[in-house]
Amino acid sequence: MSATAPQVGSQLADEYEAMLQQYFEGLGEAALEYAYELGRQALADGLGVLDMARLHHAALLKVSPSRSPRDEALRSAETLLIESLTPFEMTHRGFRESYAALQTSEGRYRELFEKAHDQHEAVTRRIAHALHDEAGQMLASVYLAVADIARELPDAGRQPLEKVSELLDHVTGQLRHLSHELRPVLLDDLGLVPALEFLAQGIARRSGLVISVESSIHDRLPVKIETALYRILQEALINVSKHAHATRACITLERSSHAVCSSIRDDGIGFDLTDDIWPPASGGLGLIGMRERLMAMGGMLSITSHSDDQGARKGTTIEIIIPLPAVPAGEQDS
Amino acid sequence: MTHEIHLRIDSDFDIIVARQKGRQMANELGFGPTDSTLIATAISELARNMVAYAHRGEIVLQSIDHGDPPGILVTAFDKGPGIPDVVQALLDGYSTSGSLGLGLPGVKRLMDEFEISSEIGQGTIVTARKWKRRAA
Repeated sequence: MSATAPQVGSQLADEYEAMLQQYFEGLGEAALEYAYELGRQALADGLGVLDMARLHHAALLKVSPSRSPRDEALRSAETLLIESLTPFEMTHRGFRESYAALQTSEGRYRELFEKAHDQHEAVTRRIAHALHDEAGQMLASVYLAVADIARELPDAGRQPLEKVSELLDHVTGQLRHLSHELRPVLLDDLGLVPALEFLAQGIARRSGLVISVESSIHDRLPVKIETALYRILQEALINVSKHAHATRACITLERSSHAVCSSIRDDGIGFDLTDDIWPPASGGLGLIGMRERLMAMGGMLSITSHSDDQGARKGTTIEIIIPLPAVPAGEQDS
Repeated sequence: MTHEIHLRIDSDFDIIVARQKGRQMANELGFGPTDSTLIATAISELARNMVAYAHRGEIVLQSIDHGDPPGILVTAFDKGPGIPDVVQALLDGYSTSGSLGLGLPGVKRLMDEFEISSEIGQGTIVTARKWKRRAA
């Protein structure tokens, strides 16, 4: 581009100069039409507005007005310049229009995404709490009733009831697990860090992965942020335990005055970042969903695949940054 | 008083005349040099389309000076082949002007109001208005 631009420019410069000369000699509207055509040509050749200004100025310095007094000549030359810039103006207005339309559609998309997500989260929370509290209580009553019946029976008759009790234990465990998968009550009651620690214990127990959670956050974060971080880290941890062949994973959480930063690093096989091999964990967001979720909150997500000197993959780090809502002055450092 | 100019368009020379008349009318109505140029350009694009596709047509320039602010109305009509898909024609990237947003979409952007109707085999009518900007 830079190799050909001066040539195109110089040819245009000659034409522009000749045109200006003719304009000063009284060609009038035809010269203006010519200026417009030249502008179109320049635009098609990839020249910018600044190039046109330069062309015009250079031509003005070379061409001396033969008829008109200087001031008048300069004034009329302005008309010629404006004429040659009009194609750029048209294009520019088109870009502005497209940009505004893009902004509007982007805004609407984010809004819809947020709304759908909030609704999903609210429903999930309701179901999870109903499972945990109501279904749990009902099961407890069944337990007591079974125990009452067992007490009245002779020893020999108790055996089948013990089997029922065992099954009830099973159901209770399943319900608790399901409720927790949907929305950990811990997250609502105690906050992000305890919920993550609990999650890590569960996954560590099931997979044998050694997971550490290091956090310097001691107070609660806005619910939306806690939820988003929990969901993303949950998804990431499940992925590490299933696909990374890792032995260790480390989660960090930090809070600055404006943002929450979190990372999760593992020592697994990593993955090729060009592949989209991170499928959504059952019912999860998937990598794309996480990105969208974060972007909707003004945050970002980066994935780094580490490799050693021989190019062998050595684990993966995911970093997440979510900006905190602005805190009114005077309430900081709370 | 409403001033009206009828212009026959069937050559490149007519395009230049139409531009000039449009610029003149805009100047008389008190449009600044920049807006006068934009009006001349819009007329230029309409006339150019006419010569290119319909070979001939007519452009009517009317001053709208009974209202406040004053404005200019440009009507371009031809009995040419018509435009098969008007919506498409108003999208950038259509027609000979390439994807630079010139041509009909360009006219639409330069003027304040723009209407077009076209029928295959019958011709095309474009009306476009531009109002004088009030001094800030």
